[in-house]
Amino acid sequence: MINLSHIWKEYQLDQELVFTALKDINLTIKDGELCSIIGPSGSGKSTLMHLIGLLDKPSRGTIFIDDKDISRLNDDTISTLRSEFVGFVFQQFNLMNKLTVLENILLPTIYARKKLEYDIDDYAQSLIEQFGLSGKEHSYPNKISGGQQQRVAIARALMMKPRLILADEPTGNLDSKTGQEILSLLSELNKKENMSVVIVTHDPNVASKTKRRITIVDGKIQ
Amino acid sequence: MKNYFIFILKSAFFDFSRNKGRTFLTSLGILIGVLSVVLLIAFGLGLKKYINDQFESLGSNLLRVLPGKILQNGSFRGGSSGALNNIRFEEKDIVSLERLKSVELVVPVFTRSVTVSVGKGTEAGDLYAANEGVFIALNAKAQYGTTFTKSDVEKRSKIVVLGPKIAEKLFGTEDQALDKNVKVEGQTFKVTGVLESKGGGGFGGPDLDSFVYMPFRTAYVFNTDKKIFAIIVKAKTDISLDQAKEEIKTALLKRYKEDDFSVIDQAELLGAISSIFAIMNTILVAIAAISLIVGGIGIMNIMFVTVTERIKEIGIRRALGARKNDILYQFLIESVILSLLGGLLGVLLAFIIVSFIQKLFPAYIDVNSVALALGVSSLIGIIFGVFPAKKAADLSPIDAIRYE
Repeated sequence: MINLSHIWKEYQLDQELVFTALKDINLTIKDGELCSIIGPSGSGKSTLMHLIGLLDKPSRGTIFIDDKDISRLNDDTISTLRSEFVGFVFQQFNLMNKLTVLENILLPTIYARKKLEYDIDDYAQSLIEQFGLSGKEHSYPNKISGGQQQRVAIARALMMKPRLILADEPTGNLDSKTGQEILSLLSELNKKENMSVVIVTHDPNVASKTKRRITIVDGKIQ
Repeated sequence: MKNYFIFILKSAFFDFSRNKGRTFLTSLGILIGVLSVVLLIAFGLGLKKYINDQFESLGSNLLRVLPGKILQNGSFRGGSSGALNNIRFEEKDIVSLERLKSVELVVPVFTRSVTVSVGKGTEAGDLYAANEGVFIALNAKAQYGTTFTKSDVEKRSKIVVLGPKIAEKLFGTEDQALDKNVKVEGQTFKVTGVLESKGGGGFGGPDLDSFVYMPFRTAYVFNTDKKIFAIIVKAKTDISLDQAKEEIKTALLKRYKEDDFSVIDQAELLGAISSIFAIMNTILVAIAAISLIVGGIGIMNIMFVTVTERIKEIGIRRALGARKNDILYQFLIESVILSLLGGLLGVLLAFIIVSFIQKLFPAYIDVNSVALALGVSSLIGIIFGVFPAKKAADLSPIDAIRYE
């Protein structure tokens, strides 16, 4: 589904000093795969996630989605692809406090470039029920618990029916019990919907829940 | 599409309500600008209406014959109109104009400032010396008593007809003035009539209600040179004004040169006066518009702050698939709302102020000035919002989402 080929990411720190965050990364994630990217902080795992999530562009190398080179597409096309291809789940939840739970879940649809083949209101409602958020539709994110907020974030990530869910430390801000619930929710999605799920974490316990573990140290896949 | 606007407007108003003071102060700049522009336009419109009404009340089919060349290309001739070189009309000009076929009546006019007194009370007034035709020409009727007649003019009767305002000032009530004596510059005249009010006055316009009307020849005591300042000509109703004008010109050209005199109709005079006020008004509005620019800069400033405060939000939206333009439009919409809010409040306040002013002066706000005010405030929102919005749109999604 997504294939990274000889990817380098370099940051020009000043005129002479170049920091290399990713070194010659080769990585393929298949449809329906559940995997984790694990590494200590500063290892380059976040950079890798941003590249997979089409938020950033590599310095060198090519990213293919279904064998199509996307690394040279313009910003608008990338944005559209991002909206349709990937759903993000963040450590900080990153919900909009000014919008209700329901509105947060619907938010990605306002940026949809194509006509969606499903009824967005029905789908949003079904996600709310599926994630046990019934009754909270019209609450604001700061009025619900952390676990509920992360479930709203997952529902939002699913709203556009993406092929890939990218979760960046999804349990980082949750207690261990709630964290477990979120993880099983993600693996359930992977099983039931055959959706690719990539979890980025520094926590070996979290990584152990996934079949495939990609370990990254100093910008290199081990 | 529906959600698009609801979510974006909700974001905007959330931000506004969280920063109520800031939002109000930012809008205040536009409010003041719009208020001053709308008020000045309202004054300009009122002034134009006022002048129009004044001229309309003077009666139609009137031409004014004045010494010197007054108008050039429809505006008052500036500079060396050369009052000293001007010709002086004489009584025989009146006679020769009266003979013209197209003319119904001819009124010589002489005016000067005088003091008018009754007993111990003294008022400053304007003497308006003319023949009996003036009341027909100016469409002025006597409310009490009668206006003077041709024989009063010829016999130099020591009488005056008062405008209602001066009559009221001198005698308390208008009807009290009738058949009383007044002293004009120390000489005694009998009041034979008080005119009906024609309204208006103030602002330098002709205030027919404040004049002391006197038979032309009677006024020779104050006009020893027998000067005629202007001649009012009323054309016959079945004759076109242009035709009458030509006849008058031809008659006068026998004695005077082309540039020595002017024959002006109401429309020309009105046009000339209006154009002066229009220029003044435009300049004032332009000055007021500067405050709109200042207000716009205030909006730009606050929008830059807003963008910085909401970098994280921009990053989240980009991660959810928003394109650069989506972000650009979002912040543009916010700055337009901010500016329009000021514009709306400004128009509202202008309406309130004008409704009070209307008791004194016929200022009014028309649809055009409301449309202009709201149009300009939207435009300001766009112009001054575009740089902050562009800054927001150009943020790299990765930097934005990482921003804490």
